[in-house]
Amino acid sequence: MIVETKNLSKRFGNMYALKDINFEVKEGEIHGLVGENGAGKSTLIKILTGVYHKTEGHIFVSGTEVDIKEPVDSRKLGINVIHQDRNLIPAFNGIENIYLGLKSDKKYLCTVDFKKMGKKIKSVMDLYGIKVPLEKMAMELSPPQKTLLEITRAMMTDCKLLILDEPTASLTDKETMVLFDIIRKLNASGTAILYITHRMDEIFELTDRITVFRNGQLVDTVKTKETDKNQLIKLMTDNWKSSGLDSQRKIFGNVVYSVSHIATADKVVKDASFEVHSGEILGIFGLGGCGRTELLEGVYGYKSIINGEVFFKNEKMSHLSPSLSIKKGIVLIHEDRRGHSLVISRSVKANIVLPIIDSYSEKGFYNGKKENKDAVSQIAELKIKTTDVDQKVGELSGGNQQKVVFAKAMISQPEVFLCDEPTQAVDVMTRSEIHDLLRGCADKGKAVVFITSDIQEMLEVADNIIIMSGGKTYEKIENKGISSEQILHYCYQER
Amino acid sequence: MENKKNLKIMEIFQAYGTLFALLLIIFIFGAFKPRTFFSAMNFWNITRQMAILAVISLGTTLIMCVEEFDLSVGTIASFSGVLAAVMAINGVSFFWALIIGVIASGIIGFVNGFIVTRFKVMSFIITLAMSRVIYGITYWLSGGAIIFKGIPDSFKVLGTGKFGKIPYLTVLMVILAVIFYYLTKYTAFGRKLYAIGGNEQASKVSGVKVDFNKTLAFMLTGAMAGFAGVLLASRVGSASPTAGDAYCLNAYATIFIGKTMFKEGVPNIIGTMVGVAIFTVLANGLTIMQVPTFFQNILTGAIIVLAVVGQKIGSNKNV
Repeated sequence: MIVETKNLSKRFGNMYALKDINFEVKEGEIHGLVGENGAGKSTLIKILTGVYHKTEGHIFVSGTEVDIKEPVDSRKLGINVIHQDRNLIPAFNGIENIYLGLKSDKKYLCTVDFKKMGKKIKSVMDLYGIKVPLEKMAMELSPPQKTLLEITRAMMTDCKLLILDEPTASLTDKETMVLFDIIRKLNASGTAILYITHRMDEIFELTDRITVFRNGQLVDTVKTKETDKNQLIKLMTDNWKSSGLDSQRKIFGNVVYSVSHIATADKVVKDASFEVHSGEILGIFGLGGCGRTELLEGVYGYKSIINGEVFFKNEKMSHLSPSLSIKKGIVLIHEDRRGHSLVISRSVKANIVLPIIDSYSEKGFYNGKKENKDAVSQIAELKIKTTDVDQKVGELSGGNQQKVVFAKAMISQPEVFLCDEPTQAVDVMTRSEIHDLLRGCADKGKAVVFITSDIQEMLEVADNIIIMSGGKTYEKIENKGISSEQILHYCYQER
Repeated sequence: MENKKNLKIMEIFQAYGTLFALLLIIFIFGAFKPRTFFSAMNFWNITRQMAILAVISLGTTLIMCVEEFDLSVGTIASFSGVLAAVMAINGVSFFWALIIGVIASGIIGFVNGFIVTRFKVMSFIITLAMSRVIYGITYWLSGGAIIFKGIPDSFKVLGTGKFGKIPYLTVLMVILAVIFYYLTKYTAFGRKLYAIGGNEQASKVSGVKVDFNKTLAFMLTGAMAGFAGVLLASRVGSASPTAGDAYCLNAYATIFIGKTMFKEGVPNIIGTMVGVAIFTVLANGLTIMQVPTFFQNILTGAIIVLAVVGQKIGSNKNV
């Protein structure tokens, strides 16, 4: 065993985040870790990497019991983690970033010998077929390049276990394939891999064994070959049921929201148009960097546009700003939950009511009761797991945080939902709840614009799909008997 | 169980440690000089001494809520004091001198806020630069000298007068503190300030007019600094072009002390007022004990450092 835990528990206050975990990663295996958000995966990783300290139990690395108190300890033991949010310094180049925390080579007594360090890094990169320009600053690199840079950093020292936490969240399919090749090479050279993801196909493609977590407990460890998706989902949750798209032809109402010939000031979006009807879920699909996020930010009024018009109920928007959009009934679910959607340090209540906070001021007096009532009813409506309205949002699990984002969107009773990756990094259960919620809104006559980089999800959710590529929108496809290959074909088409 | 008990004690200490510190300081001074320190006269005296720092700090708390700095509050206070004094000498009544001083200071605050929000520049350096500009204007207004000749007695009433034993300034301070407590805690505006301070981008996406609210906070901060400046001139019966400058650092110190009061670690009015009390009691007690000024300065500076470090330790414990 590379890593083994015996009766490992972690308690916050009176709540067990992890209870009696007997977990093991064998030499040379790729081990998948799945479970809903809040199931305890992140907590386990944080304990193994020294971010949290265990409350009870034992951890063994290569057979000897260890006490991991700080991140440095785990690195010394050969355990490295690559996080969703990357730990690179933006203004440092590849060599500087990789040698952070390592002893740098010196020449002339004390001058840092970048040449020698660069050579050492290159030799490690060549070993695993990693190609990243080292002279570029981290902020100039693409998401997959950043991930690879971090992997290189992990491999500079003797790495026994490499933990990858949702490494493909912001990668396109092609980039994912490159990453998988490298992961397999690392694995072949003797590094065990612990792979955490919400994406089922990746788990089945990559892993040898899979461990399932549920509510802070380890449910089972199974061999990948001996299981399938349905069985895994069954282990992860008790009452989840996939709801496919109705094959029935839907009848939409009038056009509620339309945008034409949008170009953003940052020139990412060049010429984009779409219209969405009452009752419709309109998907916008495009590969990474096609400008879909910027398009929604632009029409919502968060980023400035230099061309184009936005119509709400056949009426042209006089100007674009988030506050006007919300007033009219248009909300944006931003893809960046922590950065652009939630005030992590504030309470659930403060977050939910923020868009309509002015409405609680009545003749100079603040109606705190109504505010409280509204927040409580949203929490109940969306089944947000929180101790009370005053709990800090940062203390909730990812899936529940995302529900707060939705509660916040729903509270202004919008007509148009602009959703950018609304199910990113949430658990299967929350994901399906969000799908149901959006479908429910559409059925009530609302209009929904939906962006996801997961084709399968797109096909599960959208009524119609608009293809976006290179900052421009192209054909609108009815979601009826089309396959993911067809959609990808449109995206890769030369225009 | 033992662990849990310790945790409780730690939490109580974190929540009220700052208050304990204040009580401890009072206790120590009381032990050394019970008769002078624990007299009713000294109590009202301390509250009056608190008032001017409190008025500046209340305003500045708003700007700290949105995670910006206004380093011009000290010079704004000097400016409005001089402006009001000059007006008073030229026959303007105290009431209008006060109003014009506050409005002029509010306009300076607006300019600060406008530049910071319109051009997305660091408030730290902009307000520092603005304070130079204001300093120049103040010097020009005063001719570089302390203004005291010809200031009518009516100008000094608010700063020195009393209701029986209770100084006007004390009453004013309490009223303003209550208003600001309500403003930050129970108005949409106050809530928005905290949301902006917590996450500016998310607030903007949520439809909060970030630039507008920030500019408003700068205006109020400027206006309050101006208010304090006039009060200071009224209290001492003269206006020096540098009279308010020292209040800037002290105001930020009180807010940092105040941030340690509650678990959230955000600027808050109660905390700020406790910070003001700690500062003033310390200055008062040290003076009564005839501690030399240089040592008072060393101690005051050390306390600011301790408060900031203490807050950091407190917030780390919470993780």
